[in-house]
Amino acid sequence: MRNTFIETLIKTHSSHKDFFMLSGDAGLGLFEGLQKQYPNKFKNMGIAEQNAIGFAAGMGLVGFKVYVYNIIPFVLYRCYEQVRNDICYQNIPVVLIGVGSGVTYAPAGMTHYSVEDLALARTLPNLKIISPIDPIEARLAAEYSFTSDSPTYIRLAKRGEPNIHEREKFDITKPQLIKDGKEVAIVFHGSIADDVMKAAEILKSKNIHPKLISIPMLQPLDFGSLCKMTDDVKHVVVVEEHFENSGLGNILMQACMATTVAWKLHVMGIPYGFIHAVHSITGLRKRFGLSAEHIVDNVMRLEKK
Amino acid sequence: MKTMDQANELRKIIIEMANKSQSAHVGSALSCVDILAVLYHKILRLSNWDERDIFILSKGQAAMALYAALYQKGIIEKKHIDSYYLDGGFLPGHLDRFSVPGVEVSAGSLGHGFNIGLGMAYAYKQKKIDRHVYIVLGDGESQEGSIWEGAMFSADLGLDNLTVIMDYNNLQGYGRAKEICHFEPVRDKWEAFGWSVIEVDGHDHAQLEIALRAEYSGKPKIIIAKTVKGKGVSFMEDQLVWHYYMVTDEIKEKAFLELSETVLS
Repeated sequence: MRNTFIETLIKTHSSHKDFFMLSGDAGLGLFEGLQKQYPNKFKNMGIAEQNAIGFAAGMGLVGFKVYVYNIIPFVLYRCYEQVRNDICYQNIPVVLIGVGSGVTYAPAGMTHYSVEDLALARTLPNLKIISPIDPIEARLAAEYSFTSDSPTYIRLAKRGEPNIHEREKFDITKPQLIKDGKEVAIVFHGSIADDVMKAAEILKSKNIHPKLISIPMLQPLDFGSLCKMTDDVKHVVVVEEHFENSGLGNILMQACMATTVAWKLHVMGIPYGFIHAVHSITGLRKRFGLSAEHIVDNVMRLEKK
Repeated sequence: MKTMDQANELRKIIIEMANKSQSAHVGSALSCVDILAVLYHKILRLSNWDERDIFILSKGQAAMALYAALYQKGIIEKKHIDSYYLDGGFLPGHLDRFSVPGVEVSAGSLGHGFNIGLGMAYAYKQKKIDRHVYIVLGDGESQEGSIWEGAMFSADLGLDNLTVIMDYNNLQGYGRAKEICHFEPVRDKWEAFGWSVIEVDGHDHAQLEIALRAEYSGKPKIIIAKTVKGKGVSFMEDQLVWHYYMVTDEIKEKAFLELSETVLS
């Protein structure tokens, strides 16, 4: 996803006079082509995240379309107030590319996990939040971000994620029906997609067919479209690699309180707490009840209800 | 009108605003008045608005000084000044770039405007647009880590279109900078970070103008302007309380009396 996102940007938009890429001393090798072709469109900002964001805002004020690349804690947490005041409050269409969503970097440790980034990003008016599930969504997110007049935060895993969508083109701002089904809808975003797809395969072999819906754009969330897509199911299961109390599940909980939906909401996420256990991504997902097997169990239990 | 007269008038506008709004930070605004008077009346190229020079008040708590200068230049109107900090008014206590023309950058939280200004100066260089960026920075503000991130990063960018002025009044929210942290030597710190430093009396207009016009030396320029908090109103000068105190009607009268009697050069 990360590579697709960056490659799309460079291939499609780097020739534009206003395109500019900043990196916080991260992504070695990723920008070599860009630097070679357009040495004046890339700047390594060093290990100084507050300056990187303020600087990006300043460049944006002068008319550049600025992308800031870093791992999520250093594009959103360390410099939260710069993102709030300099970019969002001033409504400058800077794009924050955050890599290492969820526990992508496991077992690097809690400092490098991003399991509460949506909670932070959601506090920021004007900010669009996109969490792609596959390289196709990442490509569409790259294209969307270039033309967007608003600040945008792109939440990416790292690399190697397979394509899930069969269609190449669709509206990234809307929930996407990936596979039709009945009784239960699995709603998801981001890198957990591989376990969701694996779970769907296992369920298929048991003749259980949940509806699969991805939500690439989490803010603003097109809840109306989601409701239409889910008007024939009894249960909606949100699966996300994020704290269960403050991600998409929580967004839907709030939305559901303000309206009437026909389904019951269930959230599968990472339990709210600092992670001290040392595991791989797979190990952490298993530990936190987020593996394909856990998703299968949950859907089978709900399907019988 | 000479800039000293203009500065005196700015002080009166500020006292009036502070009195009407019953807001704090009058001392902070008064300390940078002379810097703004010289900038707005001698230095900034503002006649072609679309290609104007950029002024950023990074120490956003001194917003009254900027509003007064914009009013004096005819960029904003009396209705803006008269409603400063008031319910339903146009101008907030700290800077919002969507409020009125001339507020280039939203600033209030310290250690932000400086870095935004660096990005703007760099962007103008990249686009080969001849616009100069001037930033007024507080001394207390320069305790923020972001300032030193930006100072270190920007030293080698060839920013000959950037001028930073530190309003060094040596009196922040809780006392003197050097009593709070290892603040001095300020000059050596900036030089060590790769900047060209000029020290001036921040109330001496001739010194300010010469420093502001000084040629680019290959390093970005910071002018350390030694100032007095509350400058121009004797009982406010160098008094910590005027970071916070309100200007009552009685105080306003006393201040106006002094400002009217000020012998201007």
